[in-house]
Amino acid sequence: MTALVHFLRKNSLATAGGLVLVAVILAVIFGPMISPYGPTKLDVLNKLQGPSWAHWLGTDSLGRDVMTRVLHGGRYTLAIGMGVVSIAFVVGVLFGTLAGFAGGAVDMIIMRVVDAMLSFPALVLAIALAAAFGPSLNNAMLAVAITLAPQFARVARSQALAISVKPYVEAAVSLGLPTRRILWRYVFANGLGPLLVQASLSFGSAILQTASLGFLGLGAQPPLAEWGADVSANLQYMRESPWVALSPGMAILLTVLCFNLIGDSLADWFNPRRRNEID
Amino acid sequence: MASFLLRRLLALIPVLILVLVIVFSLVRLIPGDPAVTLLGPGATDAQIAALRAQMRLDEPFYLQFVNYLLGLLQGDMGISLKSGAPVLQEILLRLPATLELAICATLVAILVGIPIGVLSGTRPNSIFDHFTRVFSLVGVSMPAFLLALILQLIFATYLGWLPVSGRLSPYIIMQPITGFVILDGIITGQWDIVWSAIRYLVLPTAVLAAFLAATLGRFVRNTMLEVMSEDFIRTARAKGLTRAQVVLEHGLRNSLLPAITVVGLKFAEMLGGAILTETIFAWPGIGRFMFEAIKNRDYPVIQGTTLVFSLLFMLTSVLVDLLYGVLDPRVRKRMK
Repeated sequence: MTALVHFLRKNSLATAGGLVLVAVILAVIFGPMISPYGPTKLDVLNKLQGPSWAHWLGTDSLGRDVMTRVLHGGRYTLAIGMGVVSIAFVVGVLFGTLAGFAGGAVDMIIMRVVDAMLSFPALVLAIALAAAFGPSLNNAMLAVAITLAPQFARVARSQALAISVKPYVEAAVSLGLPTRRILWRYVFANGLGPLLVQASLSFGSAILQTASLGFLGLGAQPPLAEWGADVSANLQYMRESPWVALSPGMAILLTVLCFNLIGDSLADWFNPRRRNEID
Repeated sequence: MASFLLRRLLALIPVLILVLVIVFSLVRLIPGDPAVTLLGPGATDAQIAALRAQMRLDEPFYLQFVNYLLGLLQGDMGISLKSGAPVLQEILLRLPATLELAICATLVAILVGIPIGVLSGTRPNSIFDHFTRVFSLVGVSMPAFLLALILQLIFATYLGWLPVSGRLSPYIIMQPITGFVILDGIITGQWDIVWSAIRYLVLPTAVLAAFLAATLGRFVRNTMLEVMSEDFIRTARAKGLTRAQVVLEHGLRNSLLPAITVVGLKFAEMLGGAILTETIFAWPGIGRFMFEAIKNRDYPVIQGTTLVFSLLFMLTSVLVDLLYGVLDPRVRKRMK
């Protein structure tokens, strides 16, 4: 706990990011409950209105309250971030730990596949996969998770390589513990730190990429209030009513920025060379 | 150097084969019968049978893959389902536009990112340094499409200084020589074309460059910080060199090397961003081509563009390794 307090005091940007993120989370949880409007409630008579007391961020082309939609979209976005990073984490860590611990041919095969997947620009691979799976939010999340998994595999492998030669692992092996147990209790548990940093850094890219797929029409489908899809759905009104498209876009920027501020400081914190610089 | 290049290219082969397997599998990932999905509703049984035969869907998977490879070796990436033209031909037609944009964006990012990084790395914790840190974090957190829309709104719609989208004024007609509009303009001495092309290039370049400049600025800052505390910097200062000489000749030179790797790696992410940027700015490159192919479910084109993006990335990584050798004598020695 004192370490956390120390960390927060030394990292004002991370603290700011954390506070804003908490505010965002509270807003998307409670905001839709307070809002008098529904995210898909049409009110065509009041379409494309500017920001006012009744509609803080105005209304879109179908008269839906933009603020309500942004708040609802936030729920999807946070769920997307969690979902994508979890899938990438589990898949990447599983293969990476296996590669690092087993070595030999298993390592070679797994890491060549990882290299091949990293030979695609991440967004290009995500777009191609999402196009093949078919446009839907779940498929887009899966596609983005697949492109993020190799990075987890890399980190997990190097952790496993370093840990599997430690005396306590050798002791566990010579005691005849089952491999599954050694991997879980010793290799994975002791290599968790850098993996968590990788996870916090991946949150931002997970959200950005899924939003980009949504923007291209490969993710969430209307009338779902996903941020990326909402930006592209309102492009044609950019000239007269820019707030309709810009509001969900700015929400993406704000959320990703918070995650990056936190992830960045965590990465510095776990890097001993940089940690001295902060202290 | 030549033998290093050869070894580096040979090492790419297993990765390349796996890349090809992934690209090849894309169409096979489509749920259901690919031929039925590709042709869409309303296709006759005869059409479906013809496409199945053309794609050799009745053959075993590995034979299909071998045939795909043999086709690629002869430059056959398949036929676009939309236009009926060979995919490779369509891609080559659009490749110069994407390269022109990517090269300009990389140059701008280097010209902006490196000086920013050097300035804040040599003045840590100054106001400029804090500003750089916030700028670079906003830069990497900004969705490319949002920045594109904001710039379009300000500089094209409201101020009217720059065109909203496109690559060249519709009133200009030109015969492509190299396909690079600016280069063609210079070759033929048509300066109005060059001027028009540059005006159209500014906004998409800014969008693509922003991300790279932000990443690069932050990275150079951190390496500069480390390098400036090295012993040889103290020696250089003790010799009585001016501050500029110490920073530029001793500091920067040693921080540039890792920066090149970052440019190479981020070049790939920039290519991904090109799909969004080209789509928003109606830039006639392969990114927009891929986007249109997705809308039309034109899978051979999706496969082809995915492969080309990946090849561009791999070539860049080889290029980065070679540049390393040119710039660092220690690496050059190991290459031999």
